[in-house]
Amino acid sequence: MSGYITKEEVHRWLDGLRQSRDVVAPVKVDDLILFRRVDRVEEIAFDFANTDLSPKEFLLPATETLFRVEKRDGSVELVPRDIQRETVIFGIRPCDAKGMAALDLPYLEEPADGFYRQRREMTALVGLSCRTACAECFCTSMGTGPQDSSCVDVMLTEVDGGYLVELVTEKGRGLLPESMLSQKDAPAPAPPDVQQVPSAGMAEKLRQVFDDSYWGRLADRCLHCNVCSYVCPTCYCFDIRDYEESGVVNRVRSWESCQSPGFTKIAGGHDPRADKGSRLRQRFAHKLVYFPEHFGVMHCVGCGRCVRKCPVNIDIREVMRNVQQLSGGSDGG
Amino acid sequence: MSLTEGIRAKAGELLESGVVECVIGYERGTDGVNARPAFVYSTDEVDRLIFDDTCSHNLVKYLLNRKGKTTAVVAKPCDARGVNLLLNEHQIEREKVHVIGVVCPGVVDSAWGSKGDKLRAVCEVCRQHVPPVYDHLVGDVPASEPEVPEPYADIEKMEGMSVAERAAFWEAEFSRCIRCYACRQACPGCYCVECFVERLHPLWVGIRIGPGENQMWNAMRAFHLAGRCIGCNQCEKVCPVNIPLSLLNRKLEKEAWELFHFRAGMAPDTAAPFATFEKDEKVGIGE
Repeated sequence: MSGYITKEEVHRWLDGLRQSRDVVAPVKVDDLILFRRVDRVEEIAFDFANTDLSPKEFLLPATETLFRVEKRDGSVELVPRDIQRETVIFGIRPCDAKGMAALDLPYLEEPADGFYRQRREMTALVGLSCRTACAECFCTSMGTGPQDSSCVDVMLTEVDGGYLVELVTEKGRGLLPESMLSQKDAPAPAPPDVQQVPSAGMAEKLRQVFDDSYWGRLADRCLHCNVCSYVCPTCYCFDIRDYEESGVVNRVRSWESCQSPGFTKIAGGHDPRADKGSRLRQRFAHKLVYFPEHFGVMHCVGCGRCVRKCPVNIDIREVMRNVQQLSGGSDGG
Repeated sequence: MSLTEGIRAKAGELLESGVVECVIGYERGTDGVNARPAFVYSTDEVDRLIFDDTCSHNLVKYLLNRKGKTTAVVAKPCDARGVNLLLNEHQIEREKVHVIGVVCPGVVDSAWGSKGDKLRAVCEVCRQHVPPVYDHLVGDVPASEPEVPEPYADIEKMEGMSVAERAAFWEAEFSRCIRCYACRQACPGCYCVECFVERLHPLWVGIRIGPGENQMWNAMRAFHLAGRCIGCNQCEKVCPVNIPLSLLNRKLEKEAWELFHFRAGMAPDTAAPFATFEKDEKVGIGE
């Protein structure tokens, strides 16, 4: 099903959705564009390349209390967290929607993560296709593209005065009634050109150069902050701790990153990835080798946020090009 | 001789003669516009090195990863203050480090793929264009260092806010923090083997990425740098969500100056006020 909707009607539609659910959309916050729950449609930024942070926090919050344990009348009770409201994420780019599909793989694989599944089921995605390509993005090499509608419920493509609409899923058809759509003879704009990276054959190649001195040299520059992981739409590692506060124990889950120094430290003090090179290699090997081998798709959607935000220009595109050029196999020195 | 040529020549000489195993400098990054840190181990690599007004990283941080190994580092004046800080705090050995100091005209605030046309705010109030420590100096020494009439205008503005206004301001700024620790990882003064924020016993700060913990993290880190911050402002530069951390650090720098007439990293043998105690010093505490 496809049709056309004017910009005014989109405002009206979003305003209507807001009555029954949370609407999350890109908002200008100082000099940043961030996804935020919006109270008024006027807050939404429609003109942006992509958001500074990915919207993954609405499926996998930076921090969430999973449940709390309370003592009541001498017995111990486990209280699940509050049920979330239905949520619409408006204005998600195809790469970030693909990122959510990538999050689904580990989190919904049985036994599924119930907390994630609950959010996922209550969340609908309204995609906004890209009119321009960011200088640092490479989505078409990573299995998606500027007009890819495969991972959203409703896809909007901006044309003169409004949007071409594709109702992709049943959930999408429930969100945007066909009666709001009209027919307009507007051709879909040509997708912007996106730079290519040599992603083909990456898993095999990276395995061949696993012990290369390249990783240590690359890690010379790495600060081992968590920026790349936290701006990434697909990174999904977390830490869990219990906090006792005023007689109530909260079990809290927060983002964590394989780049932080203590990430793989285990009881007794051993750390299988103690050196910087192996930590940095892990990030790329997980994205380009282990995840694809386990789930069949790359664990990078080419949004380019890590490229843009890395303080020292560790650039996954350059890493892929370098890996493809390394001699492979025997070079351990 | 340009700064780039001067750095390349010295780097080549140091590597050739075996004085150092590695030179840490700058090279052009993948956006084709901005510089990034570069580690050079052999003479045939020195032509990668550059210096221009996009060289805004403080490379002295990396000396902490090369303890005991001979290393040359390209250092602007603020970066070189980091060398003094680390010498004073016994984190690096003077004889292992060769400082290629750069007479710095200031660096620009850049975004990915585009070079800024304005000096970084921290450079606008910089009073030192010649590094306070170096083994070799590149660039022409100016006749005098600049006078900065109002170095703390931004801090005074913040001080003029009411407590409630300041609290609201910082609450909003810290609400964006994602606790990626880029500020800490880029800071030459942050080198604890176990940062307080990761310590479990006692648990100073929990793992939550949320209002309370975010404020605790940022405020505690600032206090740990009180009288130690060298003003390179890397923390603010690397923050992915633009938290104005310089306001915290420069406020504490201002306090340290007013109370102790002390500025961190100006000399290798001057300890930070918090690391010394003199019986007769009162300097406003408890008065």
